[in-house]
Amino acid sequence: MSSLKANALSAFLIKYGILIAFLVICILLSIATPFFFTSQNILIVLRQVSINGILAIGVTFVIITGGIDLSLGSVLALTGVVAAGFAHPDTYPLIVPIGLALMTGLIIGAANGFIITLGKVAPFIVTLGMMTIARGLALVWSGGRPVTNLSPAFNYIGGGDFLFIPVPILLFLLVIILSGVTLKYTRIGRYIYAVGGNEEAARASGIRVNRVKLFAYILCGLLAGLAGVVLAARINTGQPNAGIAYELDAIAAVVIGGTSLMGGRGSIMGTVIGVLIIGVINNGLDLLNVSSYYQQIVKGVIIIGAVLLDRRGG
Amino acid sequence: MKVNTVYLLLFAGLLFFSCNQGAKKGEDGQIVIGASMLSLQSEFVVNVKDAMEAYAREKGIRLIVSDAQRTADKQVQQIEALISQKVDAIILNPCEVEASSPAVEKAKAAGIPLINVNSETTAVPDGFVGSHDEESGEIAMEEIARRLGGKGNIVIMDGYMGQAAQIKRAIGAKKILEKYPGIKVLAEQTAEWDRAKAMSLMENWIQSYGNQLNAVFAHNDEMGMGALQALEQAGLKDKVVVVSIDAIADALQAVKAGRLDATVYQDAKGEGEGAVEMAIKMAKHEPIEKTSVFIPFQLVTRDNVDAFLK
Repeated sequence: MSSLKANALSAFLIKYGILIAFLVICILLSIATPFFFTSQNILIVLRQVSINGILAIGVTFVIITGGIDLSLGSVLALTGVVAAGFAHPDTYPLIVPIGLALMTGLIIGAANGFIITLGKVAPFIVTLGMMTIARGLALVWSGGRPVTNLSPAFNYIGGGDFLFIPVPILLFLLVIILSGVTLKYTRIGRYIYAVGGNEEAARASGIRVNRVKLFAYILCGLLAGLAGVVLAARINTGQPNAGIAYELDAIAAVVIGGTSLMGGRGSIMGTVIGVLIIGVINNGLDLLNVSSYYQQIVKGVIIIGAVLLDRRGG
Repeated sequence: MKVNTVYLLLFAGLLFFSCNQGAKKGEDGQIVIGASMLSLQSEFVVNVKDAMEAYAREKGIRLIVSDAQRTADKQVQQIEALISQKVDAIILNPCEVEASSPAVEKAKAAGIPLINVNSETTAVPDGFVGSHDEESGEIAMEEIARRLGGKGNIVIMDGYMGQAAQIKRAIGAKKILEKYPGIKVLAEQTAEWDRAKAMSLMENWIQSYGNQLNAVFAHNDEMGMGALQALEQAGLKDKVVVVSIDAIADALQAVKAGRLDATVYQDAKGEGEGAVEMAIKMAKHEPIEKTSVFIPFQLVTRDNVDAFLK
């Protein structure tokens, strides 16, 4: 009887462990500070997490295939300065900076994907190399200086509201929906799980494994490009040194969300909750004015704790 | 696989030699000066480097610049490389007060004159052109105190914790705060020199201190600009004074537009040119009047911003 109860409990935790962790953190923060659970603050948290959220969703695809992308933060900076370079007032229509940034992200993602699949080099190494290449390109393009003086239309993407909702949040939502549907309901989505679960079996069953992986890296690069646009628009600048270590926050969110670094297991919703957990922690610790030194420790403990709770359940 | 390895080795070799070629001593008689800069991802340091290069070109000397990427260990290695290339003089833009000191001692042991530009090391170099970073924190905080009439609530955004610039700017600010007991620091937190992080931090602070806040002091303009944007979005800029340091182009524009209240200017051109000039003299063994040249910081407000905008 009691073991049955325990089983039911563990089944419940498997399914909702990470969600429960998120709610517990939110409740604790609401008790600790009256400024946390206000509509204004919630909107602020959502706006702050949009960039990491878009990055994390992109890398979720890659991680489910069993890969990794360490170049995200640098690609974010590169696409940001590329977009900013074409976003000065009265120069090009808005589509040009956005299109070029997305294109840049896509090309970097494709380069990662081709070298990993055709060159048969470990994703960790390829994307580690790409991390410094993209950072270098960002510095070359911008001459090491922030690219400023951007048009109001461009800045609207990062700071504007549409139907009372900040544009970055809307973009994040759109990415959640499209990627969630892709991963869950399309053939390529199922292939991504298959490739990550057992590459040999996937190949034997006729799945073109290289193509599936290439798709994941291209999508990841493309979304990093979108995040780069949002970031540049949010801070009204293309920063060549922006986004340092952002890939770690993105990967942390994915892992917190229950996606296995070994591949084959994971979900967009999990990643979104992972992103939110990191977001409310950052926000909450600032609201509570926890010292910078302790913030880093607390963040790390909560990340490990959340995953531990999830694994206990599993 | 084998062939690939051979190609890779060949490629690496070529890369190595082509790099070495570039770092070789100049033609007969030409003076060669080597430099190791704190970080070429920082706009201010890039400005110093540009001034050094322009001045070196004007004087017909060769300047080798390397980027220490904020790592003292890397900086010491770069100085070692410059020593083994037997350059005529070295310009060091130190990463750290203590940890970059071995670089100074190594140049001294090799008999190559070394000049510190911008900031100091514990080990005493042959020459110094720069400023006391504490002074920038003092000037910025003094301006905040003046604008608040010596009374009010402020928040402070620190640079990357533990870096020389962060430590010194914080010391300078603290020194002034001791004079004004009426100014209360509600919160102090790092935003790691980063505009995006500063914006998020300010948004969070607005939630907890929005109505009580009178001023923000940011250790650099990037963070100051991030704080400014968050305050503007929240419609609070009219009530809150924002002062930061560096006088980067963007910040100067913001001061001119009346958005940023003040920034503190550090003379990148003066520092870069001064350092190269001193290095040339030392390389030629010419007499030098002053081996320590201090270039003061200057407060930039709307009243005098035009003089700083190029």
